[in-house]
Amino acid sequence: MKLPAGVRDWLPAELTRKRAVEASIRAVFAASGYDEVETPATERYETLLTGLGEHVAAQTYRFDDRRGTQLALRPEMTTSIARLVSTRLRDDLPLRLSYVARAFRFEEPQEGRMREFTQAGLEYLGVASADADAEALFTAITALDAVGLSTMQIDINHVAVLDGVLASVGVPAGLSLEVKRLLSTRNLVELQALLEPRYPVAARELFALALARGQGELLGRLQPWCQSESAQDGIKRLQFLLDEAQKRGLEHRITVDPTLLRGLGYYTGMVFEGYVGELGFPLCGGGRYDDLLPRFGLEAPAVGWSVGIERILLALERQGVR
Amino acid sequence: MSTSLTDPERLVVALPKGALYPEATARLAEAGIVVPPEPGRRLNVLAQDGKTELLFLRPTDVPTYVEFGAADCGIVGKDVLWETERDVCELADLGFGACRLVVAARRVDRYHEGAPLPTFCRAATKFVRTAETYFAERDLPVQIVPLHGSVELAPLVGLADVIVDLVATGATLREHDLVIVHEIEASTARFVVNPVRFRSKYAAMTKLLQALLRPPEVFS
Repeated sequence: MKLPAGVRDWLPAELTRKRAVEASIRAVFAASGYDEVETPATERYETLLTGLGEHVAAQTYRFDDRRGTQLALRPEMTTSIARLVSTRLRDDLPLRLSYVARAFRFEEPQEGRMREFTQAGLEYLGVASADADAEALFTAITALDAVGLSTMQIDINHVAVLDGVLASVGVPAGLSLEVKRLLSTRNLVELQALLEPRYPVAARELFALALARGQGELLGRLQPWCQSESAQDGIKRLQFLLDEAQKRGLEHRITVDPTLLRGLGYYTGMVFEGYVGELGFPLCGGGRYDDLLPRFGLEAPAVGWSVGIERILLALERQGVR
Repeated sequence: MSTSLTDPERLVVALPKGALYPEATARLAEAGIVVPPEPGRRLNVLAQDGKTELLFLRPTDVPTYVEFGAADCGIVGKDVLWETERDVCELADLGFGACRLVVAARRVDRYHEGAPLPTFCRAATKFVRTAETYFAERDLPVQIVPLHGSVELAPLVGLADVIVDLVATGATLREHDLVIVHEIEASTARFVVNPVRFRSKYAAMTKLLQALLRPPEVFS
């Protein structure tokens, strides 16, 4: 008898470690005013398609119930929470919700990427302010500190800033999606090949942008490229996050990466990703997704993030914590 | 795990054994990372700078090491990147190791002069994924015959109708009276990095990148 690929058992000692991590994170969520919710592991496929778009199809476990209704195992929690809030909690906004839940994705199993995994995260719904961005971001740092990963570094960005830069350097609208894909994966060879012949200024500036990291001084350099109102707002919001980090003594943990996007088309504002030196992939990530709730008929902004519990355990193991 | 991986000052660099090795080590040496004179059979050595760790790998394994963060960065041919489809950042085209991935066949079959390919084409190759994509994009039914070497032999002995293989000078093709039917893409050596290590070892990584780029490109 064998297990299916990409799933695992948890033996008592392993489960004890996992539960301890979950408990630390739950404690931070509770102390920060986030109420935990639980949703079913199955959703109507249509719900996931509404929330996540076509590309989700390739990644979800899908099946029909006996009446032929298309169902799917949730690949993440945010869509389920958006559905829940839009149906049963729409009059209760603003809301601070959290979860620790299993999710399922049909991907090639590899380190840090199982087909069944546990995610913890929070969603701050109904508030569009920069304060809400900051609250979400710094709660992530608090939560990861609580599990013992205070070496986690965070990269932040704002999607409107990159859009602003692309427009200013003369990337035509028709190319912008492809350019963003190449920038966010740092495929600079293809980026040069695509832009150099017809848009040499854009090629040169974006090459420099893709290799830039920094804090306030980097925002200062990006500012002149940000002419649209949304791009200017993006710069202000990033600066606000840096200022807040300074107030909290966390400035050494936060860096602006102007190419960070976390996928294309989902996030609408600030995005962030946290990582530790022990892992070659991010530990946690999230951002502002103001377009999601409207797809469920609720005009409300939201910001949130999630962290992979198994990734935390892997990082702790690599740091020699048992 | 190696302490080099978490120390932001130290890089772990994956190098391909084989055709790209001499030029790859020469370029690293120009960038100040010198392979010790007698690495012998060791698969990992410390460079002469006393801090960079070098891994000697089969070329096809370089993207795997880099994607999983077992190496921070590496040098590898574009042909391998097509075939392995690993999540790595391709920061620079290093220009050397030029070769072309081509579809080739026997001269007598005249495919290169426009003779129609067999309805169900058999293609022998080491580049299974790249070959599959090539035929799929053209809606051509194909049987891929995966081989590990001496691919040029396959059409001569009737194992395949065409081959999908790398060509540098074309000498091997000529020797077996094979001709190029279609050029799929041109490949050169690339400098690739792990997306997370690019951030956590930013200073060391951009310094190495700058040293590898020739002529040096300026970025602010």
